[in-house]
Amino acid sequence: MGQLRLFGRYQFLQDYVGWTEQDEQRVRLLGPQLQPHLPALIDDFYEEIQRHPNVRSVITGGAAQIERLKQSLNDWVADLLSGCYDEEYVGRRWRVGKRHVAIGLDQIYANAAISRLRGGILRALGSEWTGDASSLQEASLSLTKLIDLDMAIIGDAYQAELTSLLQRTERLATMGQVAGGVAHELRNPLNVVKTSVYFLLNARNPTSEKTNEHLKRIERHVELADGVITTLTSFAKMPTPDIRSVSVEQCLREALDLHMLDNRIEVDLQCPPEIPLVLADLNQLRIVFGNLIRNARDAMPEEGKLSIIASESGDEVVVKVVDTGVGITQEVLARISEPLYSTKARGLGLGLAIVRAILDKINGNLAIRSEPGRGSTFTVRLKSVAQQAGASE
Amino acid sequence: MKPNPPSILLVDDDIDICSNMLDILIDLGYHVESANDGATALEMIRQNSYDVAVLDYKMPGMNGVALLHQIRKTRPEMVSLLVTAYAGSAADDAMSAGVSEILSKPVEVTRLIKIVGEAVDRPLILIVDDDRELCSNLWDLMKDRGYRVGLAHDGEEAARRLAESIYDVVLIDIKLPDCNGSGVFRKVCEVNPEARTLLITGEVAETGCVVDQILAEGADAVHYKPFDVPKLLETLERLIKARLGREAS
Repeated sequence: MGQLRLFGRYQFLQDYVGWTEQDEQRVRLLGPQLQPHLPALIDDFYEEIQRHPNVRSVITGGAAQIERLKQSLNDWVADLLSGCYDEEYVGRRWRVGKRHVAIGLDQIYANAAISRLRGGILRALGSEWTGDASSLQEASLSLTKLIDLDMAIIGDAYQAELTSLLQRTERLATMGQVAGGVAHELRNPLNVVKTSVYFLLNARNPTSEKTNEHLKRIERHVELADGVITTLTSFAKMPTPDIRSVSVEQCLREALDLHMLDNRIEVDLQCPPEIPLVLADLNQLRIVFGNLIRNARDAMPEEGKLSIIASESGDEVVVKVVDTGVGITQEVLARISEPLYSTKARGLGLGLAIVRAILDKINGNLAIRSEPGRGSTFTVRLKSVAQQAGASE
Repeated sequence: MKPNPPSILLVDDDIDICSNMLDILIDLGYHVESANDGATALEMIRQNSYDVAVLDYKMPGMNGVALLHQIRKTRPEMVSLLVTAYAGSAADDAMSAGVSEILSKPVEVTRLIKIVGEAVDRPLILIVDDDRELCSNLWDLMKDRGYRVGLAHDGEEAARRLAESIYDVVLIDIKLPDCNGSGVFRKVCEVNPEARTLLITGEVAETGCVVDQILAEGADAVHYKPFDVPKLLETLERLIKARLGREAS
């Protein structure tokens, strides 16, 4: 966060807790009285830390680090009592919170520690106080407000830093995943291109037919590589669906035609005529069914039965795609819709991720059940037109 | 190239990459065959022996390592190379299945050609002994020395192996289930007179006269069990040198 915005936030908080010029003056006068007590308070602070393994584990640098930390705590308290709460001051508080993320100190321990320190400071103040009770109470209140403000800024910095750290980690993980999936799919065509080029450059007796064959192969694999990139980019920015009333049966038949299944797989399509139309983008819904049909086919390399059963359920149309294939283990099931996750020898691993992305945009959903060795059921739920008509009334 | 060019088996489910490697290796004068899945490759291996197999790791159905195990079992004399995009745990498994080399994908063609060239030049040894554990130990020892080692456990199998490949040295156990060593020795003289022969036997008293007789017929050496391993390997090396030296002269 920018220093100025940060300071603005601090000033807003000051207003909120009712921090005034008087508070500032009062704290400034307390400094000299509290100064002699600080070393004892700081020692107590670190002795307490030693008793808590979770907090102690953060300190990895031994006695030398404790000495440095005591010094910075001393500086922190001195700063607190300085009476000067400008941009620089707030910036220093902010850095404390960031630092806690870096060393892995959970915010709850920082809060508890500051609370303990506050108790010590207030007790020291009471023991030194020579004025009347009401002025002691005012001074204590000022200190409390000031420390609360510090805790708010430190906590805020901690949260912001932690969030950004998590986002960075997540981005890196995603990038690694994308890179891995793409690398695999691009390497295959590149490998073909590379070996064809090797042949063309090195063959001792190439016939013109062979030469031609290799040139055509290179062309085909350059297109394949291009296709990988197209698939990936079109997944990254999936077009907004053009939602219309769509016949599930027509869509299923088109998808089946596109994915010619050989006769080792028996297909049973059950789609009663009374099934209402659904709200979907026809082209995208065809991709949904196409991907599920392809998965079913891949799950049944020898032979099997693919049943596609549509039914009406309330305001939804339910389409079950059932195969008698190899099934999916629990481990795989947990990750199966992740983009770029694949258990197959070929393919980017985007099929089910695309299915989910498409269904999300038309308020549909996908559920998967599977029994390893027996088969899997993919259940797609789609909003029917009837539901929409009812809702708009 | 020799009249009998070395043979190579390529196994990869990527048909295009398979065709490319086929063209490149045929152009270099090898006899090359290919399969696009493990089951087909296995059938081909049952029918014929190849000098070298180049196996892709990730294939639907039977993967490259499963195929390696089968090759180790049925064709221990073949040199297998595994091509994989990710080494990982597959590498350990491949090692235990006797892989010669693991190549990372995409394969550097010049490197593959070099490795294949070296593999087909390795001395080829046949061990004829019905003691499978002994065979397995000798296989490990000899592979470690850079030899290719075929195995036969009886006279009939030995005859089949001798018909399939041109061995440089044949180790013959005198006592086999279906014949004694002299049958195997004569078979060697018949189909591959250039090969050197080394008799291995345990019973001096019982088989002494057979051993003397085979030595008289021209066998090169004899070693008695239990072996002095360094000496056995030394003899083997001498015979290989003699065999390959004779070929060169």
